[in-house]
Amino acid sequence: MSLSASKYVYTKLDLHTIPGLTFAGVMESVLKKNIPFRFTAPGISMTPFIRDGDVITIEPVAIPLRRGDVVAFVNPFSEKLTVHRIINISQAGYLIKGDNISDSDGRVPFSSIIGRVACVEHCGQKVWLGIGFERIIIAWLSQHGLLPILMRRIWPLIKPLLGKWF
Amino acid sequence: MDIKPSSIFMPSEDVVARVIEDELIIVPLVAGIGDSNDELYTMNETGKAIWLRLDGKKTLSDIAVELSHEFNADIDMIEHDVLGLMEELTSRKIVVGQE
Repeated sequence: MSLSASKYVYTKLDLHTIPGLTFAGVMESVLKKNIPFRFTAPGISMTPFIRDGDVITIEPVAIPLRRGDVVAFVNPFSEKLTVHRIINISQAGYLIKGDNISDSDGRVPFSSIIGRVACVEHCGQKVWLGIGFERIIIAWLSQHGLLPILMRRIWPLIKPLLGKWF
Repeated sequence: MDIKPSSIFMPSEDVVARVIEDELIIVPLVAGIGDSNDELYTMNETGKAIWLRLDGKKTLSDIAVELSHEFNADIDMIEHDVLGLMEELTSRKIVVGQE
């Protein structure tokens, strides 16, 4: 290999061209320095809590993860960077699942967890993520396959009550 | 800051850089957050080779000499590239000079 006289050695990176594992590596590098990482989430697997195009802030995992927390992890089976909710915790790892899908991601070891979702913004406004006490109920509903059905039926009714949060 | 062959630079504390699958990726920190919605950067092989030598000890001239030996390339051309890159990175506050 020889060096060229290329002037443009420094270029802006197109996020859409970065493979998921590379992006996960970038996120991990930032979080390891105890610095939060912010990015735009694609996909609908966490709708309505995280919608396609929402901006997510991931924070380092400083305290033990809890049932109902939403985490960023590399799926050990698909090797994809994923942001889903912990619905159960056991010695075998975390059972993780998207709020809007029927199948879980399987048991994920702690080592695969990159960080925890701290906040979600939709059109510049922070939205309710369901990670307070209600996370336990959300996780239970999700584990038993009731969350997508419930959200489809009840969501239109409660959405106006939540006002600015959604 | 005047950028000369005798200048010494190191990565700013306001960036996180990592080589992943042979690609150098730089994340500038904005208000204490690594924000991929803002700007992520990568460098070609030339830029990466220069970046990995910015240790806050070597002068830009030292770096150019190392690279000319390693890649068997013309030292003037490399020094020109090194100085050019430092100008670009300094203007974006990606690197800081050591006085």
